[in-house]
Amino acid sequence: MDGRPLWAIAAYDDGSGRVPWPVSHTEIERTMGGACSTLAGLGVRAGARALCCSVLSESAHFWPLMIGTMINGGVFSLADATVGDALRVAMFARSLQLHAVFGVNEAILDGLDDLGIAYADLFAGIDVVGAHPGAYERLLAAGLMPHWFVLCGPAVAIATEPGGPARVDPTEWTLASDGDRILVSNLQPRAQEFVRAPTCIRGRLVDASGFVPNPGGAVPYPTGEM
Amino acid sequence: MTGTRPAPGARFFDEAAETRSRADIETMQLERLARILPHAYEHSPLVRSAWDAAAVHPRDISSLDDFYERAPFIDKTTIEHWRTDRRDPWGGLLCLGESELTTILSSSGTTGAPTLSPQRWAPSDGPVPAGLSRDLWMMGLRPGEFMMMVIFTFRGPAFGMAQQFGATPVLVDYDADDMLRFCELSLRYRPTCLYNLSSVIVLAMADACERGGYDPTDVFASYRALVQAGEPLSAKARAVVASWGAPMFEHTNVGDVGTAFQCPEHDGLHYWEDDTLAENLDPSSTAPVADDERGELVATTLVNGTTPLIRYRSDDIVRLTRTPCACGRTHSRIWPVGRKGDGVVVDGRTILPIDVWPAVEEVDACDLGLFQVIREAPTMDRLRLRVGHHASDMHLAGIRDAVAGAVEARLGVVPEVELVPDAELLRLGPPHKIPRVAAR
Repeated sequence: MDGRPLWAIAAYDDGSGRVPWPVSHTEIERTMGGACSTLAGLGVRAGARALCCSVLSESAHFWPLMIGTMINGGVFSLADATVGDALRVAMFARSLQLHAVFGVNEAILDGLDDLGIAYADLFAGIDVVGAHPGAYERLLAAGLMPHWFVLCGPAVAIATEPGGPARVDPTEWTLASDGDRILVSNLQPRAQEFVRAPTCIRGRLVDASGFVPNPGGAVPYPTGEM
Repeated sequence: MTGTRPAPGARFFDEAAETRSRADIETMQLERLARILPHAYEHSPLVRSAWDAAAVHPRDISSLDDFYERAPFIDKTTIEHWRTDRRDPWGGLLCLGESELTTILSSSGTTGAPTLSPQRWAPSDGPVPAGLSRDLWMMGLRPGEFMMMVIFTFRGPAFGMAQQFGATPVLVDYDADDMLRFCELSLRYRPTCLYNLSSVIVLAMADACERGGYDPTDVFASYRALVQAGEPLSAKARAVVASWGAPMFEHTNVGDVGTAFQCPEHDGLHYWEDDTLAENLDPSSTAPVADDERGELVATTLVNGTTPLIRYRSDDIVRLTRTPCACGRTHSRIWPVGRKGDGVVVDGRTILPIDVWPAVEEVDACDLGLFQVIREAPTMDRLRLRVGHHASDMHLAGIRDAVAGAVEARLGVVPEVELVPDAELLRLGPPHKIPRVAAR
C-alpha cells in the first residue's frame, strides 16, 4: 500500500484461532504516534522502564509500544509471554525498577507459580501492570491493581487507569459488539481492511473505543489450530 | 553497503566488502581498533581496570601484533565478579550514561541466570547489523520475498533483519503448538528462507505435517535456506530436515560479539571481520593455535561502543581458518565444536555431551535428544546423565535400561541415568537450547 514490502505477516485471534494479518510499514509508523500518546498518559516518559511480554506473532501489536517507549525517552525490555520465560520476567522486575509491564498473561503467572515466586510481591512496586483477561483477574485476586491490556483482534486496548475500561486508539479503530463479542473496524488505511471484524474478546462496550472485558473475557479456542 | 542493491543473480550482496584481501581486512581492523580501544578504555570501568592492571594503554597499540601480544583478556568470570562485587548490573562494560540507553535486553541464560544487555538504538535503524544482509543474500534470500521467522522475542526483533533487507517476515511463535500455522503460512506465502530451526522445532514441524495432512516436501518446496541455530541438531532431526529437500545453513554467535552463517559451500561459518576481530587460542594459555586447529575463540568488537568486549575469552571451542572460502568470500570461517569445561573424565576418558547425544536419541521415548551430563567434578567415578522422556511412568525402568545400554554400547561406560519428563528439561532452555552440563 506504500510501495514498500509489507512490514510483516503477523497474527491475531478472531475467536476461532490465530489468523494471518498482513501489516504495512505505514500503519506501523502511524500506530507508533498513538502509542506514544498512550504511553505518555501512563507515565512512560523519559527514564521510565517498560517490559513488554509477547510472542513473535504478536509483534505488530507490540512493536509500536516498544518504539513508542523509546521515542518517549524511556527504555524497553523484552520477555516471551510463556511459562518458560517467567524467570526472565522476574529477573527484569527485580533488577530494573520497572515503571510498566505490558502483556502479563496466564502463562507467565503459571510460570511464576511453578518457580514459587509470589507475583503479588514481584509486581507490587510497578506502577502499571498491563494484564490480559484471565491474568487480570488473578492479579486482582492477589491484591494488585492491574490495568487491562487486551489484544482486541488487530488492535491493542490499554486501560488508562486501574479498573478503567480498555481503550483502543480512537483515531485508528472503532469498536462494536455482537452480543458480547467485541468487533473492530479500522478508520485509517491498512494493508488489510477490518469491517466489524470478530475478535476473541468478550466484554461490554462503554463507547466506540472502550470496553470492559467479561470475567475470563477471551473466547477460548484449541491451542495451535488455525 | 553504498549504492544500489546487486542484481538478483549476483553472487555477493556487497562484493567489495565480502572479498577484501587479507591485508585490507587487517588494515580496516587496525583502524577500527584505534577508535574502539581508547573509547572502551575511557568509558568502560572493567576494560580500564584490566588494561591498567596489565600496565597497557591503548596508545601502546600501533599494530595488530601489538594488540595480540599486549592486550589483556576478560572473560565471563571477570564480568560476573565485577557485576556482583561492585553491584554493577552492566558488569563494568557500559560506556554510556544510563539515561542514554533505549533498550535493555538479556542473555539466553543457558549457562546461568540471564544477564542484562544494555543497548542504544537509533530510532531509524534498530539493532540489526548491516552484515546480516550479506548473510541473507549469501543463503539465497532476495528483497521482495517472504522470510519465515520462527523465533522467540526476548533477544530482540530478529524480524528486523528481513525488513532491513527488503523482505517481509512471516511471524510464527517459537512453540510446537504453532507449527500447524507454520505449515499453512508456508503454503500461502511461499517464503524462501526460514529462521530458525532447533531439534525440538524440527520434530514439531514434522509432527504438524503429519497431523495436518500436509506433504512436507510441498510445505518446504519454496525454501532455499533453512537456518539452524542454538545447538547442533540431533541426528534424528538432521535426517528429518534432509527428507524435506531444502538446504540447511548453520548459524552461531561469535563470542557474543558477532554472528556467523554458512554459505552455500557449507564449509564453515563466515563471520564478518569488519565488526569482529577473532583469535583462536590454546584454551589453557595465551598461545595461538594453528589455522584450522581447535582452540578457544577470543573475540573483540570493532563496532560496539555501548558495551565493548575487548579480547573476550568466550569458552567456545572452535576451529577457525583465515583461508578464503571456495565461495569467494575472504572473511574467516569457524566451526563450533563445544564449550570449554563441558567434558567430564570417566575411567580416564573425556566424554563430551556430543558423544552422549546419539545414544540418548536412539531410544524412542527419548528421541528429542534432551539430556544433561551431571558434572559434579571434572573427573568422576561414573557418568551421570539426566535424560528427558515422553513415556508413561510404567515404562520408566525399561527406558532407563535402554538408555544405559545405548550409552554403554557407544562409549564403553555404564551411566547412571535419571529420567525426567521432556518438559522439565525444555523449561531450562531459552528455549532453542538447554544447558547440556549441570553441576547437580
